[in-house]
Amino acid sequence: MNVKERGASRKAAGREVRQASGKTAASEKPRAKGGGCCNRRCKRAAAATPHRASLHTCIHTHTNKHSDLRYCTAYTVHSTSSSIHYKNFVFVTDTQLKRLFILVTGRRQTYVGRIKFAQFDTVSTAKKIIVATEENVLAALHLKTGEIVWRHVFESDSSGNIRLLHVGDKITTVTGDNPYLVRGWDSATGVLMSEWSLTMQDGSRAEFSEFWVQNGLLVHMVPIYHSHIEVTMYNLMTGSNRGATSKLPASWIDPGQVISICLFTAPYYTCVSRDTPSRMLLSINVTSNPIQVIRRSLSSIMQGAPGHLRALDGNSVIPGLIVEDKKIVLFKNNDFKVLNTDVPHYIASATVADTARGPVVMQIQSSRGYHLIAHTLSGELVPEVHSPDSFYDIEEPELLAVTCARDQLACRLLMNTVDEAVHLVQQGGVILWSREESLANIKSVEFVDLPVSEADAALESEFDQKEGSVWWSFVRRLQSQVQQLQVLVERLRSGEVLEQGPASLHRDYFNLHRIMVLVTEAGKIFGMDNLSGSLVWNLYLPTLSGARTILTRRAARHPHTAMITIVGTHADTGNGYIVTLDPITGRIVPEHTVQLDLGILQCMTLQETGDDQLRALVILDEDEAVQVYPPSAASLVHNVHMYVADPDTAIVKGYAIRYNGREVVSERTWSSYLGGSRLARIVSVSSRSRLERVRSPGRALADRSVLYKYSNPNLVLFVLEKTDPTHKDVVVSVVLDAVTGAVVGASSHRRARALPLAVHADNCFAYMYRSDKHRRVEIATMELYEGKDRWSPAGEPFSSSASWRAPVVERQAYILPALPTAAAFTITERSLTDRHVLLGLSSGGVVEVPWSFLEARRGAVGEESVLPYLPELPLPAERVLSYNLTLPRLAALHTSPAGLESTSLMLATGLDLFYTRVAPSRTFDLLKDDFDYYLITIVLAALVLATYGTKYLASRKTLKMAWK
Amino acid sequence: MFRLPISIITFGIVCCAFATVRSQSIEEELGNGRYVIEGRVFPPDDSELKSPWQIDTRIHVNGGEYIGFIKDDGSFTIHNVPSGSYVVEIINPDYMYEPVRVEINSKGKYRARKVNYIQTSQVIQVPYPLRMKALAKFRYFQVREQWRLTDFLFNPMIIMMVLPLLLIMILPKMMNDPETKEDLKNISNMAKMSELPEMSEMFTSLFSGGATKANAKSKQVKKRQ
Repeated sequence: MNVKERGASRKAAGREVRQASGKTAASEKPRAKGGGCCNRRCKRAAAATPHRASLHTCIHTHTNKHSDLRYCTAYTVHSTSSSIHYKNFVFVTDTQLKRLFILVTGRRQTYVGRIKFAQFDTVSTAKKIIVATEENVLAALHLKTGEIVWRHVFESDSSGNIRLLHVGDKITTVTGDNPYLVRGWDSATGVLMSEWSLTMQDGSRAEFSEFWVQNGLLVHMVPIYHSHIEVTMYNLMTGSNRGATSKLPASWIDPGQVISICLFTAPYYTCVSRDTPSRMLLSINVTSNPIQVIRRSLSSIMQGAPGHLRALDGNSVIPGLIVEDKKIVLFKNNDFKVLNTDVPHYIASATVADTARGPVVMQIQSSRGYHLIAHTLSGELVPEVHSPDSFYDIEEPELLAVTCARDQLACRLLMNTVDEAVHLVQQGGVILWSREESLANIKSVEFVDLPVSEADAALESEFDQKEGSVWWSFVRRLQSQVQQLQVLVERLRSGEVLEQGPASLHRDYFNLHRIMVLVTEAGKIFGMDNLSGSLVWNLYLPTLSGARTILTRRAARHPHTAMITIVGTHADTGNGYIVTLDPITGRIVPEHTVQLDLGILQCMTLQETGDDQLRALVILDEDEAVQVYPPSAASLVHNVHMYVADPDTAIVKGYAIRYNGREVVSERTWSSYLGGSRLARIVSVSSRSRLERVRSPGRALADRSVLYKYSNPNLVLFVLEKTDPTHKDVVVSVVLDAVTGAVVGASSHRRARALPLAVHADNCFAYMYRSDKHRRVEIATMELYEGKDRWSPAGEPFSSSASWRAPVVERQAYILPALPTAAAFTITERSLTDRHVLLGLSSGGVVEVPWSFLEARRGAVGEESVLPYLPELPLPAERVLSYNLTLPRLAALHTSPAGLESTSLMLATGLDLFYTRVAPSRTFDLLKDDFDYYLITIVLAALVLATYGTKYLASRKTLKMAWK
Repeated sequence: MFRLPISIITFGIVCCAFATVRSQSIEEELGNGRYVIEGRVFPPDDSELKSPWQIDTRIHVNGGEYIGFIKDDGSFTIHNVPSGSYVVEIINPDYMYEPVRVEINSKGKYRARKVNYIQTSQVIQVPYPLRMKALAKFRYFQVREQWRLTDFLFNPMIIMMVLPLLLIMILPKMMNDPETKEDLKNISNMAKMSELPEMSEMFTSLFSGGATKANAKSKQVKKRQ
């Protein structure tokens, strides 16, 4: 069996893809024959000739949470070759760098997600907090430090949804949506103790069912509207049914259109009656025998209440309700008890906790900050548990769990905030620990260079001044050297350590120290130090939601500060929302923070910068109008192209954006329907990373000729999924030139379903799909070549509109013996090192696969430089970057080039964060970390000594000889 | 005396009743086309094994579509699986387990076989309920090459260097022996006596002489023209 695609024998151009006639002739370019038929022997070119490739920028924008909608832009700007700094190739003998090798093994930070249920485990000896989260994670947190003691990750879909958490002498969870799974866990170790499945016969009523634990029995309750309540009890360990289902008559259950008009607070089920003129609060204890309905008119609790109910937060020891966000009603002795202390704020959180002075009602008073107030049930203020001032900046705290000492009034409160952080607070207001759980759901990542230190900046500014004669520059040289000397003397005098600690936010020599800007789903933005993993700053923007893209507007360069722009949608209006901030300090730049009146279709930054080194932001809005920020940069817009893809209809449109002297206008140049005759869906889009540079124009073959690469920077890979009557599902991949809309390459796979994973770099493409026919995951690769002779002279920038020939498309497919969930290419600064594909696997590992294993030319006949074809890809344990650290639910891999050519920085996001450095061709520009300095010094010294010693001996011998 | 057997009989009846109730409930569970994958994971015989090894071990069915956890004794159950073909993997960060493909047909018949991604039709059956044994420990790190004296000495280059050195050092020592000295002298005398012309000299004279002749000839030709 060979998975070599039959598509390889097909014609190079996409036969599977029907291209709709575009508006302009650009999309109907004549198809040339493949350029592979070349007999002329080419001279072997130097592989490392700097290739002045046209630069290319690409932006991914997630506009939809669930679908993998990505809009992408591409544009060409002919760049001038930049000066090359050779400092990257200096061999390092610095001991400072030796320390960095410790980090090569990677750094992991574990998270659990936004906490849904939490309970203090006070039974077992090691004090813990057991939490269940919205990310379907069950975990035990250490009470003193907040670290994870153990953690179980359930399925990410609804079958892993945690519905109940009960902590007794063991932990009980109920997960899933009919069928439910009831599991018992040992609270000390986290080992599973019991597991049984519960299936409801009538699935339609499953969504209203409620669970709780009472007297060691699992109680399952389902209300049947206008009729009765079904209550079933099960043995917790075995699931055996203790007595059949009991039906409690309750015809008054009448859920209205208003939400939460019926509410369950174990074991009471409460409704507000609708039809009676004076609205009644009706409640029933579903476990009591005989059944007794408690009634009370709403007007006696609060005048003019429409009947909005809310349960008390944080595992209240006495079940209770909050009526109309104002009055607290507790259930006591099978009756309502209205407290005379009101809830102060409509989002204020309240709970009843057991303390040394009996049950106490605790309330967080304000929506901002920690402001605790406590009363006894009779309404007396408890002054010991009282924190009038808010010391901390906490957003909308909500009580999750409260524990108090038995003998004295000392309480600890676990609080959730609206920005998904968790704080454990002592009653006085001291935060014991905090966890930023929003980091479990990261949308976008950007690696930002740090600014150079002041001394280095002064040194660089010395060369900035172009004017002046030789003497002036000599004087400046002397000045800066005197400055450096002064700094050195000062440092030595003050006894400061010369070595820069990781705390100082200055660029290091190899640009390995970065700030990672992380945008989370919750709208919280973080700046994280990549070496230490500590959070440098955070910023909460509650109105930022939807699509997120980070664009670097300006790198930090003296005297300008760095600037990045986050493009998203406004949570309230759904229109475009642009936030610009300084990535080093996290401060918002107000003059560049805009709320648009329209939704954003596409955005990008210009390659050319103005005088202030700021790249202009070009936005295509829903009306296909163009907006440029800052508006003064409009004249810089020329030769810019964008494309917009609709994932549900598989229609891709291309736009040309121009400055016509007065304003910037867009013109639709092409449009393409990638689905062909049938309904198709774009699963994944990949275009070249804007950080990537192409250095080598081709590769040498065995016969000493050169196979030239088709290095078009404007290529975009689309992976589509469509249904076919004979072959069920078909996966189609199309490579488009985003400027002209021409199809460059395509291939199709029958009876397969696409995975949303596609990567593209230089002339290489890779995407993954699940083969239904063979029940396995395959990775397909494509490579584009110009052929054995070059289309354009060396050094000439590529232009999409000038090339009319079609490249040779090489295709191959391999079996992947694992399920990938994330994929990325490594990026190095000058792309001289090998390229590896990083794959995040469902088993929780990040594995690197060299491109030589995935090459589309693998198995070519008579070729010594490529490996022979083998269908299954090996994934050996040595290639696992995360070693034995398991990274559950890996979502994305982000790579960035380091200042060292050999190294690429990698951040894996998902439930956990994992950062490491990857060296695809080994660290060829670094000394080994166990380099023996002593040995080399001793050998050198011995050689020098031996030289002089033998010289002396030789002279003595010649003297003796002369005397003879 | 009579009471005891009666009580035993009643106990037996009760047991039977319970058993029937249990079996009925299981049938009900399976009635909706959902099945259960069962098996047991055996920990590796390793003294370095962490004490609750169960906490780090997961059972992934089809790459995490269904997730199972193992009990204290290593047994696991994956509930509510519809009929189909599933790859059951044991995920442990330190030990490698071989995945197994479990096929459940629409009648609820189970078949477990080895996973073969290349020859998908090949069936090598394994027992069901599954018995998963650790194959080996993962080796995430390559062993760094260390400098050893034996490696250095047995290097062919070193041997090639050392042997001539030994010959050079030992041969002069052997010269102390008078007989061998005589022999050597004889050999050197032989070499002198046989008056063979020096090879290089012969060649140089040959070539230089030939060249001059050729040059002279070409000069003559030029003169004629």
